[in-house]
Amino acid sequence: MAWIVEDRLKQYQPTRSEPYLTAEIRSHIEQKYFPRYPRKQAALLPLFHTIMHTYGYIAPQAIDEAAGFLEISRAEVQDAVTFYEEFRLQESGKYVVNVCRSISCELCGHQAVLDKIREVFGIEPGETTDDNKFTVFEVECLGACEQAPCALVNEDLHGCIKPEALVKHLQALPDHPAEVRH
Amino acid sequence: MAFAGPVLLKRIPDDPAKRKLINMDQYIATGGYESLRKAQSMTPDQIIQLVIDSNLRGRGGAGFPCGSKWKFLPKDIHPRYLAVNFDESEPGTFKDRYLTDYDPHILLEGIAIAAYANRISVSYIYIRGEYHLEAKILEKALEEAYAKGFFGQKIPGTDIVHNCYVHRGAGAYICGEETGLLESLEGKRGWPRIKPPFPAIAGAFAKPTIINNVETLACLPYIIEYGADWFKSMGTPSSTGPKLFGVSGLVHKPGVYEEELGIKMSTLIEKYAGGVKGGKYRAAIPGGVSMGVLGTDQYDAELDFDIGKKYNVLGLGTAGVIVMTDKTDLVVMLRNIIRFFAHESCGQCTPCREGTAWMHKMLNRIVAGYGKPRDFDMLMEVGLSMGSMPGTTICGLADGANWAVRTFLQKFPEDFKARIKSDHVQGVTLDAQAAAAV
Repeated sequence: MAWIVEDRLKQYQPTRSEPYLTAEIRSHIEQKYFPRYPRKQAALLPLFHTIMHTYGYIAPQAIDEAAGFLEISRAEVQDAVTFYEEFRLQESGKYVVNVCRSISCELCGHQAVLDKIREVFGIEPGETTDDNKFTVFEVECLGACEQAPCALVNEDLHGCIKPEALVKHLQALPDHPAEVRH
Repeated sequence: MAFAGPVLLKRIPDDPAKRKLINMDQYIATGGYESLRKAQSMTPDQIIQLVIDSNLRGRGGAGFPCGSKWKFLPKDIHPRYLAVNFDESEPGTFKDRYLTDYDPHILLEGIAIAAYANRISVSYIYIRGEYHLEAKILEKALEEAYAKGFFGQKIPGTDIVHNCYVHRGAGAYICGEETGLLESLEGKRGWPRIKPPFPAIAGAFAKPTIINNVETLACLPYIIEYGADWFKSMGTPSSTGPKLFGVSGLVHKPGVYEEELGIKMSTLIEKYAGGVKGGKYRAAIPGGVSMGVLGTDQYDAELDFDIGKKYNVLGLGTAGVIVMTDKTDLVVMLRNIIRFFAHESCGQCTPCREGTAWMHKMLNRIVAGYGKPRDFDMLMEVGLSMGSMPGTTICGLADGANWAVRTFLQKFPEDFKARIKSDHVQGVTLDAQAAAAV
């Protein structure tokens, strides 16, 4: 969570000449979000949601570029981005499976879901399959306790999960989805 | 008069198969946005007085009177903001999501009324990042409302143009705390602010800001339509009106049910949620995990905002009831709750950051069978030492952890002591072996 900081060395990535904040992303944020707030900084969350949606993770270079774009220091961007769990600094699989582990889901058997995923795909929470298709995470309450146990597969909520059915659904997903949906 | 049937959920059928999203046309056909028109024929002061008279208390957890909150706004400082708290992250709480899944316009109408009454320039709906579908539903509903002229127009009688936007969070429980929410809205990490200044004086972007829960705002159209006396005819004298209760955990029909405040928990579980599943009732969380736990003899607890003193819990919270049976391992459940707080602590105040993690370690130890006899007392001591009510932290997150630990240990000490005692010998032996190995 917020105050557990990742090892800086792990975050090192070579820069690339092509910017992460493409002209398209910039104009999208400038036109849709800048008018909404009195300060540019407030568009930070929408900006990084867009970056997550485009690339599936946040590269260090994207943080540099965002600092210039939002007219704040890199430290301020880093400070905010590392706080939020949905903003991931490491690349993940094409499908991110967030299994809820909070109290209602634990009562209704979230462990069986994780066990099934481990059995079929061979991954523990936090790991990615070798073919880079799935990453599974254990997350706190998804706000769908009446449908416990529940999980988010990218943007789609799955409730009242039967472990076999979820795994079948995951296996049926296309290997190359048309867009990143994180 | 007692509770005569759903109010907030009146447009949503009981039968899950028949539920579907209510769009603008259907909403207007069933009397929607009439209350907004009626509100605009009143003066802002009349509306605020009506809300005060109705004794509407905030539905987001603290139960603070909504009308008084509005009164705190200083006169003649503009722009003013409304932040709608849709960061529904408390485990066991899903009422706002359910309402928005089917009836988003009730929220938008409430926002429009609040904006008219308080001369709001911009309303931000702060929705948690995990609610992808709901954010899309709200964006769509807002588009419809803009097209009809309910937003983006001058507030009648003023030069203030009122806009409403959806602002998505990104996965942090603490952003549901009002000042944490404001920080997050400004594009910073969601660290709660020290009060004063209160948000009503200097909130979002250092301007006067009101923060209201989704359900609170959804009550407004009905208060305008039927009046304060109608609203007060439901519930108890100090907790008025209808309330959405989310029931989850070990029951046959988990879901969101609407009843008046003051309803017995047993009625809620048996009449609405189909009864306890797979065992006998043993314990229940009354309103989200930070409120503590109700004991076996408190099955008939009357759920209203004053539940705290009566039943030795923190309060009603978000009214998300989580039911546990005699087969549930309560030590594991408390560990789950404390893990949640340890994970979601923002790390700003030391007692909370260190205390939650420390308690999580102790509970892990007890569950694994290495509990030491002093762990029981130490858990209690660490728990009681943290929170804004003992005065050691900025916000109330640590109070949640405090009350969870305190009520579990007070109401179910035998569960913990049995675990510590029976496995203690094994713990000592393993420790001794480990020491010998070193």
